[in-house]
Amino acid sequence: MSDPASASTPEPAADLAPALVRLLRAAYPHPSFPDGPYERTARVILDQLDADLWHRLALERGLATLELRAAQSGSEIDEKLLREIEDAEFFRFIRGVTVTTLYNDPEVWELLGYEGSSFEHGGYLHRGFDDLDWLPDPRIEEYDGPEQLVEVADHDQPQQTQESQA
Amino acid sequence: MSDQFGTPIDQDTEAVVIIGSGAGGGTVAHELTQRGIPCVVLEAGAWLKPDDYENDEWAAFNQMAWLDNRTTSGGYRITRDFPNLPAWIVKVVGGSTTHWSGATPRFKEYEFKGRSHYGEIEGANLLDWPIELADLAPYYDKAEIAIGSTHRHGRPALPANNNYKVFAGGAEKIGYKFYATGPYGTNAEPYDGRPASVQDGFNFQGDKSTAKWSTAVREVPRAVESGRCDLRTQCQAVQVTHDAQGRANGVLYLDKDGNLHRQAAKVVCVAGNSIESPRLLLMSASSLHPDGLANSSGQVGRNYMRHTTGSVYARFDQPVRMYRGETMAGIIADEARLDTSRGFAGGYYLETLSLGVPFLAAFVDPGTWGREFTEVMDAYARTAGLWIVGEDLPQESNRITLNTGAKDQWGLPVPDVHFDDHPNDVAMREHGYGRADLLYEAVGANGTHHTPPYPATHNLGTLRMSARPEDGVIGAFGEAHDVPGLFVSDGSVMTTGAAANPTLTIVALAIRQAEHIADRLGKGDL
Repeated sequence: MSDPASASTPEPAADLAPALVRLLRAAYPHPSFPDGPYERTARVILDQLDADLWHRLALERGLATLELRAAQSGSEIDEKLLREIEDAEFFRFIRGVTVTTLYNDPEVWELLGYEGSSFEHGGYLHRGFDDLDWLPDPRIEEYDGPEQLVEVADHDQPQQTQESQA
Repeated sequence: MSDQFGTPIDQDTEAVVIIGSGAGGGTVAHELTQRGIPCVVLEAGAWLKPDDYENDEWAAFNQMAWLDNRTTSGGYRITRDFPNLPAWIVKVVGGSTTHWSGATPRFKEYEFKGRSHYGEIEGANLLDWPIELADLAPYYDKAEIAIGSTHRHGRPALPANNNYKVFAGGAEKIGYKFYATGPYGTNAEPYDGRPASVQDGFNFQGDKSTAKWSTAVREVPRAVESGRCDLRTQCQAVQVTHDAQGRANGVLYLDKDGNLHRQAAKVVCVAGNSIESPRLLLMSASSLHPDGLANSSGQVGRNYMRHTTGSVYARFDQPVRMYRGETMAGIIADEARLDTSRGFAGGYYLETLSLGVPFLAAFVDPGTWGREFTEVMDAYARTAGLWIVGEDLPQESNRITLNTGAKDQWGLPVPDVHFDDHPNDVAMREHGYGRADLLYEAVGANGTHHTPPYPATHNLGTLRMSARPEDGVIGAFGEAHDVPGLFVSDGSVMTTGAAANPTLTIVALAIRQAEHIADRLGKGDL
């Protein structure tokens, strides 16, 4: 235990990242996404391990065995393999962080066509809030034609009313 | 951050003490102070100003959502997906009016008479309200004028945004008639000192432009400026006390540092939303009220309603960009009626709804992943969305209780929110999903996704109004049957939930209640 250079504790974050990115791509496949958003999400997940020994143990073990299973079946980590471990603690933890991190990434917003905050640009009022042109412009006022909304159908009038009318 | 605003009132002075500053509490404070009646307002959250609001879904959620620990139980899916977030409501000055979208339909006449119209439905605890639409009509007018509802009292309609064009186009094709861009509580043109909408697409996060009405931009500032309001923020009420004769006489509350204070009261108005309000009364049990304050009926915390909701997101070949513009400026009322030939009692509205990418990912189908999920997200810019919102049935077993096994940050028992759908709720939701599919398919949708109910934004009924003390907690003006001087001023009062978004009705009831309180105070009767 004397020589720090031979200490058996590796730099886990650096080691886990590539496998974790492969897993994230398999679990949340977006053909149009580059690696950047997945790598940033992986970093957020790995950063949380420092605060939680249980998640670190579960994730390290889970990722290692998942890679092993993939190698044994001669394939990559894919959705089919992940379905088999859907309820595993480490995978649930990964999904919980990913859904609030991967989709909170400005590059992902741009890739999916979401422009986000607009107030600082004067809103969308002059920036396409009504630019949909493949349908006719609809009425915006309330209906003022001859029909009336029947609030209570005849067969749903209270009994005593029907009886007193009978 | 300062935690006191307005004109200080001594803690020993018996004031009107209002707990909560949202649609109900903010309105009561405004109405009473305009009549010269001093009020202390205790608000659990801080006072965020429009400049503070974040147009970023998660940042705003973490800034203003009520995130104190809560637990859930029962059969609803929230217990799995969001076990500590049964409700998506707000903890700041203005309460959930900061977060509301703005739809302002009125309740219908039949909806005040649920028991008479729906009859005896197994498992439901239906009751007629002790008031009728006619009692509330003049106050609906006042509430619409306060809010500045579009399509009402000369206020113009908002224009059609992209999401509405799809929604209304589909509505027309399937024969719906009663659709429009409102009534909606956001200015289409400048009104009441606030500007017109710039269609910035953020509502649930607070409106930086102030085009949207909330009590944080209208009622609370006016109350504070009246010289008769002492607003204490970051103050959590923990007990309502009573005197030997059983009259409400004070409120114990914690300041932001956890110090306990007592404010003397001649009237207490509880307006903490339908989870906190019954929690407060349950925590206020005394030897006179061993089962919780004002609970001789056993109904405190029961009949919790969260509206029958669901969303439908439809994918098209062409761009929609639903996120541009007012979130809910589109309402279809054709299904807001009673016709049990549809297979359920009560009615529902369809309303436009848009979520940004962060929240669509979190809420579209919580827990799903894989290509099934990413296909929905990949279609984001070509997606239109709507919300189903309808009446759910009151059930005695759907209730707020004190979970003494879990404590909040102050060491107080957290509220447990127990809920099971009634079969009527399920039938209505399925009908809504089906109608929304037809609507979107009629304008070319090539797929729809049925999103389950979100953490509830409409929380109702847990301190309900009743004619007879044995059937409910409060009477026709919101005063507790058991405790003179104790009023309830929020959505907890609703005997049944109706189909309409509740804010307009909460405001109308609060205006009516304040008039009643002022009248009684004037006569020395309170």
